[in-house]
Amino acid sequence: MVCSLGIEGSANKIGVGIIRDGEVLANVRRTYITPPGEGFLPNATAKHHREVILALVQESLKEAKIKPSDLDVICYTKGPGMAPPLLVGAIVARTLSLLWEKPLLGVNHCIGHIEMGRHITGAQNPIILYVSGGNTQVIAYSNKKYRIFGETIDIAVGNCLDRFARILKLPNDPSPGYNIEQMAKEGTNYINLPYVVKGMDVSFSGILSHIEALADPTKNPNKRKKTLEADASVAKPADLCFSLQETIFAMLVEITERAMAHCGSNEVLIVGGVGCNERLQKMMGIMCEERGGKLFAIDERYCIDNGLMIAHAGAEMFKSGSRMPFEESFVTQRYRTDEVLVTWRDD
Amino acid sequence: MPPVAVKPCESTLRLPFETPRLAEIAYRVLSVDKEPRRNFVQKTLNLERDVLVVHFCADQVKNLRTAISSFFEALLLCQDTIKQFGDPTSAEPEAPQQDNAGAQSGSDSA
Repeated sequence: MVCSLGIEGSANKIGVGIIRDGEVLANVRRTYITPPGEGFLPNATAKHHREVILALVQESLKEAKIKPSDLDVICYTKGPGMAPPLLVGAIVARTLSLLWEKPLLGVNHCIGHIEMGRHITGAQNPIILYVSGGNTQVIAYSNKKYRIFGETIDIAVGNCLDRFARILKLPNDPSPGYNIEQMAKEGTNYINLPYVVKGMDVSFSGILSHIEALADPTKNPNKRKKTLEADASVAKPADLCFSLQETIFAMLVEITERAMAHCGSNEVLIVGGVGCNERLQKMMGIMCEERGGKLFAIDERYCIDNGLMIAHAGAEMFKSGSRMPFEESFVTQRYRTDEVLVTWRDD
Repeated sequence: MPPVAVKPCESTLRLPFETPRLAEIAYRVLSVDKEPRRNFVQKTLNLERDVLVVHFCADQVKNLRTAISSFFEALLLCQDTIKQFGDPTSAEPEAPQQDNAGAQSGSDSA
């Protein structure tokens, strides 16, 4: 029996989760929300996390109705992510580990998402589409590693959505992506946008520049794009949101389908913050149905960054014998999914 | 504009703790993170029983100040964690009180 506490704080969410033998005992989270039109900066985000993290740890222990002595391992997000917020989680995890005399484990954020998704949905060996504000990857498991089949070559899909929401001054509460999704429901006219799939990889920065110019032609210093202004006068924000979602999600569905064909897999699992977008889930569902496959998707409690996924992935690592010397409990901004040896899977 | 003085400088902090154990916890927690390579600051931590001694060497005053202020952010977080979650032995007697408060707020959120 392994009882594990996980702390996640790689971006603007800070979360603490507790899991015991696969049973969810607690999963609490706070989000640092900036005013409309503004993104979150590393140091301000870390300050927010410092202010709430201890209350969250307390809250999770109460919700789980356990004492610190009931825990077997303490887990934290080692990376990838922004260094200052990551460090907040790491310092608290280290201190608790020494205070309570429990082993400490650093967990890869992406692996946390994958394992949480597999655990909640029961998917055995799916193609994984990991889409969030910082990452966009199509992943398949093979030979003790989660291999990256395709990924973004510039910004993440969630970053593209967040930044477009900023242009439209949509609120960041509960999340910019959610507000784009709601606005897109009112869109009816599809506006042509660049469609950028390069082999198994995707690119979003060009699409973002293009749609930014459509949304606000006055801010565009690029004289070559002047021809766009004619379209821009008729482009409604709702239509732009709708067209942006349709275009970028179609790109994601395309590379996911190709990964399924490569691997002969008929399961797809969507994880990461953008994964709770119902339009993306619907488009992916249609593709899976046409191929006779099955789609696994999860709701925002487990999709959006949370402490529970770190606790769960850490527990799996701990059970399979992974240990980490205390001196190695640093954080790292770059930490690829395929760097982690998957010791807890035997297939 | 006056010329900006760029000169090597150093600083030593001596931070006393309630017990040698707590000083050691802070020492181990804060020793893990290395200074970023590009800020030209060298930080060395030492433990003298219940006193944590931190020595900074920097190429210029500005970088020294940045390093010290980010060190304090980490130190304060570590201290607050110790204060709130104490060591298990001293935390046990307080536990029943906290459990009562927990039961209340727990039922509120449920």
